[in-house]
Amino acid sequence: MAKGAYLGEFEHVVLLSILRLGDGAHGAKIRAEIESVTGRSTSIGAVHATLERLERKALITSWMGEPTAERGGKAKRHFKIEAAGIDALKEARATLERLHAGVSLMAFVR
Amino acid sequence: MTPPAIARAIVAISAPPSDFESVCGDLHEEYVRILALEGRPRADAWYWSQAIRSVPSLLSYSRVPRSLSALVLTVALVLVAIVAMLCVNELVDDTIAGAYRASHGTAWIFFIVGPLVAASFGALIAALRRSYGMRLVLFSASGLLAFIAVPILFQWSSRLSAATWILIVAASASMCIGGALYHLAARRRLKD
Repeated sequence: MAKGAYLGEFEHVVLLSILRLGDGAHGAKIRAEIESVTGRSTSIGAVHATLERLERKALITSWMGEPTAERGGKAKRHFKIEAAGIDALKEARATLERLHAGVSLMAFVR
Repeated sequence: MTPPAIARAIVAISAPPSDFESVCGDLHEEYVRILALEGRPRADAWYWSQAIRSVPSLLSYSRVPRSLSALVLTVALVLVAIVAMLCVNELVDDTIAGAYRASHGTAWIFFIVGPLVAASFGALIAALRRSYGMRLVLFSASGLLAFIAVPILFQWSSRLSAATWILIVAASASMCIGGALYHLAARRRLKD
């Protein structure tokens, strides 16, 4: 796998959140999903910067929706995971499982 | 039911123009939800915290493809802006302002011309490199301040008079205002 194709930790989290949200994935929902599942406080700027990076890597695609009143007349940018994104998630999971194999974390408990 | 105006302006300035709609919309959507659940003070505090924490990330990317020619043009524009402002600065402390002051008793006109030149440069940079939003204008204005302030702080050059400092700060602020005015006009045109 090329160096740029590896997923960073936050990229991994964002990709999984898009997958969990399905068709309804957009910035605000993704941010809220990360916060509720991981308990990690995240800024909308960090989410959008990561989404742009994932899109540049062709792991996701985006398109603009219609402006709505509940968003102060602003449009949504919707996100969808691509086949390459699924492959990257599988690869990241397999890598972590290989690294965990044969390691007992209990041995390090104090 | 609108979020704090200054926090909104911070987000608008930091976000790339291509993501302005989605970032502001996302923040508004969550703001309205928190407002309904927890009241205005909590919603305002949340919006402020999101706006400030988002600035470094929003400044770090642009959806516009990077190209060498864009980089060269950007650097050239920033240099032209800095050199032009230095020329205006020299005029204030140098002979033209001195002669003007001798004949009219004051050099006030330079305190109008300087910021006007800077505002025009701000608008020009914003117009030519609009895909970068206000960020380039802010960088140019900061560059102008640093370019003049650093040699003075390290005593590599002579100290400037208080009047010249006022002009430099006013010019940097005017550059930002010029850029912001261009962006406001451009966005209004897009909406129409």
